[in-house]
Amino acid sequence: MNSVLVIILGIVVYYLGLQIYAKFYDRKIIQTDPKRATPARLYADGVDFMPTSKNILFGYQFKSIAGAAPVLGPIIAIKWGWLPGLVWILLGTFFIGWIQDYTSAIVSMRNDGKTFGGISYSLISPRTRVILLSFIYFYLLLIAAAFANVVATFMANNPNIQFSIIALAIAGIIVGFLIYYGRVNLIIVTIIGLVIFYVPLFLGSNLSAIGGIAKLATNKMLWLVFALIFSFLGSVLPIWVFVQPINYLGFYIILLGMIGTILGIIIGHPNFKAPAFTGFNADGQPLWPILFVTIACGAISGWHSNVSSTGTSRQLEKDTDTRIVTAGAMFLEMILALIALTIVSVTTAKGAWHTLFGQGMGEIFSYIGLPKDWGNVYGPVMIVVLAITILHLVVRFMRIATNELLGKKIPALRNPVLGTLVALILSFVLVYTGTFNYIWVLFGSANQLMASLALLIASVWLVSQKKPTGFTFYPMIFMYVTTMSALIYTSISVLRQAITGLDLAKKPLPTSSIIGNYFASVIGFVLFFAAIVLAYDGMKAFLKYKRQALAQNTGAEVVEVTK
Amino acid sequence: MSEKKKGWLKTIKEFVYGMAAHDTARFALKTRGSMEHLFILITMGDMLGIPILPPYYSLRILPYCVPQIATWKRRMLREKDFTDTLA
Repeated sequence: MNSVLVIILGIVVYYLGLQIYAKFYDRKIIQTDPKRATPARLYADGVDFMPTSKNILFGYQFKSIAGAAPVLGPIIAIKWGWLPGLVWILLGTFFIGWIQDYTSAIVSMRNDGKTFGGISYSLISPRTRVILLSFIYFYLLLIAAAFANVVATFMANNPNIQFSIIALAIAGIIVGFLIYYGRVNLIIVTIIGLVIFYVPLFLGSNLSAIGGIAKLATNKMLWLVFALIFSFLGSVLPIWVFVQPINYLGFYIILLGMIGTILGIIIGHPNFKAPAFTGFNADGQPLWPILFVTIACGAISGWHSNVSSTGTSRQLEKDTDTRIVTAGAMFLEMILALIALTIVSVTTAKGAWHTLFGQGMGEIFSYIGLPKDWGNVYGPVMIVVLAITILHLVVRFMRIATNELLGKKIPALRNPVLGTLVALILSFVLVYTGTFNYIWVLFGSANQLMASLALLIASVWLVSQKKPTGFTFYPMIFMYVTTMSALIYTSISVLRQAITGLDLAKKPLPTSSIIGNYFASVIGFVLFFAAIVLAYDGMKAFLKYKRQALAQNTGAEVVEVTK
Repeated sequence: MSEKKKGWLKTIKEFVYGMAAHDTARFALKTRGSMEHLFILITMGDMLGIPILPPYYSLRILPYCVPQIATWKRRMLREKDFTDTLA
């Protein structure tokens, strides 16, 4: 398979999905109306509700949903070969992914811009909201653990990027102060920030003498602690001091990398060298259901429903902008996942998943005349920047969630430092004792379950509005069955390993891993049972509205007969 | 430059702004809004049933607060949970 062909295939699916399927659904099923007052216009307060141009929102939505997961998923899933990943990314986005993002925004807009917590309370039951919010907390914990693990793994295995990531933190603080206190021109500030970031990267990857200094450590634990301290600062410092400037600079770092990659693919148009299919079982993990939770964001992701139903739904100026903003961003993310799949498929290098991306980037960068070493370094940099910019935001959300869920019972947890420490300690224990493969699968399962719950809420709303539900209901059934299977499979697998003390290869596990496996299985079972209760409540509400709709239809016929 | 070209340039500019800086600008607005709403709460909180003895200065600033009272009330009384912070 040629890499350009894969991108063309992606563009074709983008066009068919957005311009035909999504347009049909938008006009015939949801029946959006440009004259309908959206919450952004109805409740415009210049704070939460603010009518915004669809182009700005499209960029905002894309940036909010496209973190590290759409890149990492295809990299990890390459162990089954590139073909299963390619098929799932294309079909998953076309039939399930966009419709979840789109309906989440629509449901929120039709309910005065409420979040899923409020919608599930009014549409399903009060219990559902509490369980859903608790579910989201565990989901955030798994994101934090997965991404902290990614940062630590890449930093420990790529000493040449360590200086520049530390420099990114420093650059972020300087940029924040220059913008807000110095009132320095944004372009100048951006250049200063990027120079602070790129100089150590350049020196680290080219000058061996300085490279020796750059090789601070290859100890994963050290970099895990670094990632958590980074997140701690992101959580407790004012958002403009740390999180926002770093994420702002991170945008340019990723953008430059993506431009280089796309140019490399177009100019070099390399063929895929990885095997198309390696078998139904890879590293002891079956293709179904594990592939479908390993590649989450590139095909469908519950995170998107949270973004659509909170930030985006309160800013959409026109009802008819929803399709372009939400579905359009999802299809663009599909292209990003295809690019990530291409990067790891064009290299002949063999090795651990975390080395493949850098190797592939080196290969692609060489087509535009850049040294392979640059790509080998830039790939891990991109992954770390993508992961760490999400990580510190997630820890910040977890701090607020800890306050919200436990603050009344334990007032001390209202303190931002203590709330953050709770989130970080839980993440640390999970990463320190857990196995990355299992953490990633649990994270993917929680993410996909969130997606199926979003589809369930959308289906309940659609049936309450007497609209056809098949477009969301059947994808929900598929996602629910698949992710529950993945969750129970993984939970039982790690529990069995914890009880026997042996891993999949029948080798004895260290005590820390045994504890980690118990911890991971507990989280897995909690999510599993929470999802059962949520599905039970959701289906009860779905059937209730269905019966009501049928009764009204019957009533209407009776009236007609009477006439 | 033709209108069509200008339109495309504007679209790209807005898209890049949306990716790079929209959430930062939004957060700055949110911070300002929150401070304003907090200020109205401590001066006009009696409107929401908070037992504040309306001081003399409340009357002085009343004309400046009037345009914001409707959105302030709505924002204060709106049901919120922690997923709101994702916005």
